[in-house]
Amino acid sequence: MSAALLEDVLVPAGPGPAHSRARRRGRRLLGLVVPVLLLATWYVVSDREILSTRLLPGPGTVATALAEFFTGDRNDTLAGVVPFTGAGPEHLAASLTRCGVSWLLAVLVGSVVGLLLGLSSLARDLLDPILNALRAVPLFAWLPLALVWFGLGEGAARAIIFVGALWPVLVAVGDATARVPRGHVETARMLGTPRRWLWRKVYLPSALPEVVTGLRLSLTLAWTCVIVGELSGTDRGVGAMMSAARETGRTEQVVVGIVVFAAVGLLADLVLRGVTARWVRWSRA
Amino acid sequence: MSGTGTGLLSARGLHKSFGDLSVLAGIDLEARPGQVLSVLGPSGCGKSTLLRVLAGFEAPTSGEVLLDGVRLSGPSADRGMVAQAGGLFPWLTLRDNLAFGPRASRRTGTQVTAVVDELLSATGLDGFADALPKQLSGGMRQRAAIAQVLANRPPVLLLDEPFGALDAQTRLRMHEWLRALLAERPTTVLLVTHDVEEALLLGDRLCLLSNRPACVVDELPVPFGADRGRAVLADAEFVRLKATVLERVLTA
Ligand SMILES: Nc1ncnc2c1ncn2[C@@H]1O[C@H](COP(=O)(O)OP(=O)(O)OP(=O)(O)O)[C@@H](O)[C@H]1O
Ligand SMILES: [Mg+2]
Repeated sequence: MSAALLEDVLVPAGPGPAHSRARRRGRRLLGLVVPVLLLATWYVVSDREILSTRLLPGPGTVATALAEFFTGDRNDTLAGVVPFTGAGPEHLAASLTRCGVSWLLAVLVGSVVGLLLGLSSLARDLLDPILNALRAVPLFAWLPLALVWFGLGEGAARAIIFVGALWPVLVAVGDATARVPRGHVETARMLGTPRRWLWRKVYLPSALPEVVTGLRLSLTLAWTCVIVGELSGTDRGVGAMMSAARETGRTEQVVVGIVVFAAVGLLADLVLRGVTARWVRWSRA
Repeated sequence: MSGTGTGLLSARGLHKSFGDLSVLAGIDLEARPGQVLSVLGPSGCGKSTLLRVLAGFEAPTSGEVLLDGVRLSGPSADRGMVAQAGGLFPWLTLRDNLAFGPRASRRTGTQVTAVVDELLSATGLDGFADALPKQLSGGMRQRAAIAQVLANRPPVLLLDEPFGALDAQTRLRMHEWLRALLAERPTTVLLVTHDVEEALLLGDRLCLLSNRPACVVDELPVPFGADRGRAVLADAEFVRLKATVLERVLTA
């Protein structure tokens, strides 16, 4: 058999032309245009005092408060009071732990139940209606129950975040597993894969792109639920700091909270995308 | 593992129905060791169903499948099947796709590498070892799918219209490629096709199926040697036989 015979069957496959990659990088910078415009507008509005600084403190004030939040000296040790100056790391750590623990638990429970739904039609018929009903309950509706069950504080906060993060994982894992093409399973069996390894050799890799999308959605939701959870009377956490700041009328501290939420949310998604990139590359166009 | 049996695959009185729909109505056939049996039949008559039953993906409603006299049930590594849509895993590189079978049968790392390297060059895909299936052309993908199955050296190879989606010239090249590949590794092949020319070019024997529900209406030897190339297309005997078989398929 001659290789020459085959040569014209082969098509070149390689990375796209360099100029399209450069253009893509240029396009990414576009994402900065709107934030910069917003920042400029914000600056003008507060500088001209179009809105009172009590309603909207200027970027400078907020930046100072942000620096204070993370690097200032701790000077408030009164019991029951939510500190601000220098308390940034502590609040952030509290929120991150709360969010991380609840999210991981949600991923675990969501994956197991989702796999069950995806692989077994019996489980699907049994659980689908009740799960869909529960999914429709707004997150805030769980708050009173969480408070009754877990009391004010940590337990209730974690329960709320868990519930918020659970559904996207569960739905994504369930759908993705149910949609694994039967042909892939058959090919693996025919090539000698034992049944007990199918989940690792076929179901998992085939479902991963969709699951990763679910994980990202779930992490973002978990992070948004942190503030709901922290309304349950915790005294540490970025959300707790924001509630306290609102009560004392420190609008710039409230805005600091918003900035921290946005930054951490963005960062967490970037990290998760980075970590999972190599599992989903094959499915990208 | 191959080498133990001789690779005689036989079907005895295979019936298959999906609910009220009878698809296979008593199929008897025999694919002989080291030979290519071409199975020809009209579209929708149940060719894919027959292969799926032979591969063990579907249980027959009645009848049995035997390999070297041993009754089979369920899929296993001794019957490699290339499905109509191709079987490569889209998330694995070509190299990992080819290594899938040997790894599943717990071959050692060096054995796996040796098998994969050999198949990469036999398919002319050396340069694409690290490409994903979607980066390959249709013809390359089909060659790779066949190589993936051959990596386990199965005694029996079941091919379901492996070249059906390719253009005529590419298909001819693939026929010569497959002949060369099989010459080096004697395998019992059952080739399902609706292309009479393909059936005659590749087959040692021919088996004609009727319309659904399918049964075997005729079986005939193909009177050309194992060394036939595409030159045989111009052979008067080939042309005559092709016309006869085509007529039989159309009136089956
Ligand atoms: N899993 C199934 N459930 C119900 N009916 C099926 C199933 N698989 C195949 N059939 C039916 O069996 C018949 C034969 O299908 P099959 O795919 O075997 O035909 P084929 O000869 O391979 O056709 P083609 O030449 O188009 O590939 C069709 O009528 C099809 O609808
Ligand atoms: Mg078919």
